[in-house]
This record gives sequence, C-alpha cells and structure tokens, in this order.
Amino acid sequence: MNSVIELKSVDKEFKVLNRHEGLKGSFRDLFSRDYKIVEAVKNVSMTIEAGTIVGYLGPNGAGKSTTIKMMTGVLQPTRGEILVNGRVPYKNRTSNAQNIGVVFGQRSQLWWSLPLIESFKLLKDIYKISDKDYKDMLALYESLVDIKELYSKPVRQMSLGQRTLSDILAAFLHNPPIVFLDEPTIGLDVSMKAKIRDLIKALNKEKNTTVILTTHDMGDVDALCERIIIIDKGTMLYDNDIEHLRNFFGAYRTLKIRTNKNTEVVSEEEANEQLEIIKSKVASKFPDNDFIYGTEEGWYSILLDDSKIHLMKVLSFLQEQMTIYDVRLEEISTESVIKKIYEDSERMKKQEKAEVSHES
Amino acid sequence: MRVRAWFSLTRASIMEFLQFRLSALVMFLGNIIYLIVIYNLWKAIFASVDNGIVNGMSFNDTMIYLVLASAQFTFMEAYLVWEMGRSIQSGRIVLELLKPIPIEQYKLFGIEGGNIAAFVVTFIPTFIIVQVITKGAIPMGINLVYYLVAATLGMLINFSIDFLIGTVCLYTESTWGINIMKQVVVLFLSGAVVPLAFFPDKLRALALFLPFQAIYNTPLTFLTSNELTTMNSIKMLGVQAIWVVVLFVLAKLFWHLSERVITVNGG
Repeated sequence: MNSVIELKSVDKEFKVLNRHEGLKGSFRDLFSRDYKIVEAVKNVSMTIEAGTIVGYLGPNGAGKSTTIKMMTGVLQPTRGEILVNGRVPYKNRTSNAQNIGVVFGQRSQLWWSLPLIESFKLLKDIYKISDKDYKDMLALYESLVDIKELYSKPVRQMSLGQRTLSDILAAFLHNPPIVFLDEPTIGLDVSMKAKIRDLIKALNKEKNTTVILTTHDMGDVDALCERIIIIDKGTMLYDNDIEHLRNFFGAYRTLKIRTNKNTEVVSEEEANEQLEIIKSKVASKFPDNDFIYGTEEGWYSILLDDSKIHLMKVLSFLQEQMTIYDVRLEEISTESVIKKIYEDSERMKKQEKAEVSHES
Repeated sequence: MRVRAWFSLTRASIMEFLQFRLSALVMFLGNIIYLIVIYNLWKAIFASVDNGIVNGMSFNDTMIYLVLASAQFTFMEAYLVWEMGRSIQSGRIVLELLKPIPIEQYKLFGIEGGNIAAFVVTFIPTFIIVQVITKGAIPMGINLVYYLVAATLGMLINFSIDFLIGTVCLYTESTWGINIMKQVVVLFLSGAVVPLAFFPDKLRALALFLPFQAIYNTPLTFLTSNELTTMNSIKMLGVQAIWVVVLFVLAKLFWHLSERVITVNGG
C-alpha cells in the first residue's frame, strides 16, 4: 500500500570491547581482542503509512536512536531489511537524505554563528529547493509561528526553545516525505512545548509528512501520536494506535488517597514510610494482585485492574485500616500505561529467567 | 546543479569567518609574536656567517620567505582535523552525513570560504607591507597569477591531507596527538617553518619527493624567486595538480572505506 517505511525483522549488533578494571586492566585493553556482542535491536518489524505521526517510545538505551539511525542510513542493520521511500537507506544515504528531515535532540544542524535566515538559504541550495517552494514554505512557517523576528538572530544567541523551533523548521524546509524527530521537546518549558507540538501537527497536516517521533514526554504522545511503538532492550513490546493502548488497559484505574490532614507537613521520608505501610497492608489482604504504588505531593496512589479486583473493595479495606482524609479516582494516563508495559515486560523476563534457572 | 550548494557553502563560511573579528585580531597578534621570534632567531644564524649568505639565501630573502609563509599559514590552516575530530566525538557527524552532498565536498566548501576571507584580511596586507618595507623585493608579474593558482592547489592538497588524517579520528576517537603530529610533519616538510634550501641534501630530496612541499614551498617560490622560466613554473603547477588528484581521491577512498566503522559499529 502506501507505506513509506518498512522494517522486516531487523537486528543490530554492536561489537564492544570488554573493558577490564583498574590500571592493569586498562593496559590489557590496549591489546585486547576480547569483544562481546551487544544486541541493540532485536527482530524489529514495522510498516509505517504515509502521513502518520508515530510515537516511538522506550526507556533510555532501549534502541530507539539505533533504529532511527538505521532508518536514516547512518547505520547498517546487521540482519533484516529496511526500506525507506522504497530505497535501502544505508546503500543510498546521500539520495535518501534528500527525502528525509532530521532533528536530533540537542544537536543543531543550523550554522551556529550566522543569522537563522542564512541557514535557511544554505539549506535551500543544499537541498535544491526551487525559489517558489522555498517562498511558499516560509510563508507557511510565518503563518504558523512567529519566526520572522528570529530570521536575523544568530543561532548561538537563541534560547533553547527558539533553536529547537528553528531546527524543526529547517528539517521540514525541503518538504521531505519523512521527518525524524529525536526528543524534540527535551528541556523546553510548557508553553514552548505546546507551541512545538502545534507546529509539528500543523506541518504534518499541511504537507502530509510522516513523522517519527521519539520522546519521553507523554504530553507529546497524547497531543500528537496516532500510533505508538514501544521498544525496550531492543525488542518491540507494543505496536498499535493510541486508542487501543488506552482500551487495552481500560480497566485500570488509579486510586489516590490522602492520610494526612495537611499535605505540607509530609516529608519525603515520611511519605515513603507511609507508602510502605499501605503497600504491606494491601498486599497481605489482596495477595494475588499486582498493584503499582506511588506517592506524590502527599497523595498515595494505587494502580489496579478494576476487572480483577473491585476498586471499592480496596478503598473500604483501607478505610478500615487508617483515616483517609481525601480520595480521588483517576482513569489511567498514557504515562502509567507505558510504565505498566515496561514493568510487565521486565517481570516477564525475570520469570522466564527464574524458570530457566529452576529447570537447570 | 550542485555548484549552487558549493557557492552557498563558501559564502556562508566567509560570513562565519567575518563574524569572529576578535579571533582574527588575536590570530594577527600571535603571528606578530611569531615573526619577532623568528626574526631574532635567523638574525643570530646569519650573524654567525661572514658573507651574509647561507645556502644561497640572504637574511632578507629568508625573512621575506618566512613572513609570507606565516601569512600563508594563517589563511591556509583551517584546523579541519580538529573540527572533524570534534564532530566525530560529539556525534554531530551524523547530521553532516545526512546532507544530500558527499561529506568531502560539504567540508571543503564549508572551510574554503574562511580561507578566502583570511587571504584577503591577512595575506594581502602582509604582502603589501613586505613589498613596501623591502622596496619591491617581490617580483611583480605573471608570477602573481602563478602564485594564486599554486596557493589554491596547495590549499586543496592541505585539505586532502587534513581530511585523510581527520578520517583516522573515526578509529582513534581522539584528536590531540594525531593533530599535533600532522601539524609538525606537514609544517616542517612543507617548508613553512624552515625554507627547504636550508635542509640537508638528503632530507631536501626527500621533502621534494613528498606532497607537503607543494603546500608551502611551491607557492612561495613563485613569490620569492626571480629566475623561474615559464617551463619550470608550469612543471611545478603540474606536480601540484597531480598531488591534488592523487590525495583527494585517496582521501575520498579512505573515508568511504572507514565510513563502515560508523555504519557498522555505530557512533
């Protein structure tokens, strides 16, 4: 169909030198041939249709950047097939570059000491953008954000937010079918984040650009992504649309209680202590359930599956055990869903390991 | 056409150079200090001989040569090895690889503008000052055109060597040692620090056989020598041109082989 990116059981392995400890070890490393293979990406497959915004999520070191680098052609997959715009990216990196745009978090592709407009002019010539397309694009930019006043500002004098904004505009300038955004909102304030999300959404709509977005900010996911792919330790955990994600965990609710009258008197240690008490009490009463606990600003939260154990049961049990001053119920947020997915896969791996060691 | 991108990159690098006025000034001052040092050093050397001629060069010849050599250094040295090493270490290289232009072209035109700007800002004034002080010791004629061609070719040779060495940074992940080594070897064997005439015969023969002398010695010869025939001049430029082709192709090849280090084993 109309797929712009296709990955078929892609693996990526890195050869890493086994480092030894201490001064003696460092000398040994100089001549060492002792390599170990690290699997950064394992058997990842996906097909991405034109015009979608895909959220590519995972904890730090999960293999997100490695996958993106393979899609841009900077890295060659160890096994498997990748097609981007119908091309094998690492074999045709230079021609592939014409059809993608990239923003890599903290690194800027703009010319540091020159006014922004000079960078745009340079990119116009580097990407061979016609005068008309260039003008139209700038007109579109100007209608979306207040970029005009930044044109004459040297990039090095910009705030992080202004620079990120400029970098995103630079990545879209040659109107590529695909844009990769690697943590675009990292370190930005709330209003700038909102601005950047609106911009990405608008550009995606206007130009039907496929956007692959990696982020740790669930606000980005909620605001932008139609589809979510979750990866951890190189393996894919989840790939579906965002509605599915919420339905999948739809029965999950968060129960929040407060056991102190005044939230300000609770120190962090006290809160953790109290949480431990709640934990042990609930766990002993309902042993077969896996709850996720948390504490924040004097609130203690329990995430539970409403279809397995009724939330009211837990609440009434807690009420018998301690004085509760305030109660809140919350539908599960994307953030806790994703946290749950990470933790489930973690637990499954541990169980597998335990089983293996039992057998042997 | 890619020419537009080349032109655009050159233009941007000229603008970038001009942004840093202060750094140009510091470079100029540093150069003056260097000149004071070599002035006194060579004065002492020439004081130790009777007839004032060493290896066929008078004190004046030597000073003119060295002043012009240091002026040429200020516009020719673009610190590309540093730049590449940093960009590899910081991972910025990824963004450069993702431009629809081969990286060697991207780098060449990205620094060449700075060279041109520095030529105008530092070399031309130095040239004029030398000419005024020595009351016209530098021959003025067709040799100036030869010089411009030779300096351009020398710049390309210098770039190719830098690019070649910069590529080594992909393997070593460190820049400092490699850069210092390259600097010492290139500056010495190119005749930028000591004129080749002062080299012992065997070393000079070796230096003339290597590409480095084509960076400094060849262009500077056009400015300092009075006895060049057209035939000789063209021969010298021809040798330079051959080195440009050989080294540029070599640099390109080596980069493409080494690129696998990144694409296979990541950055």
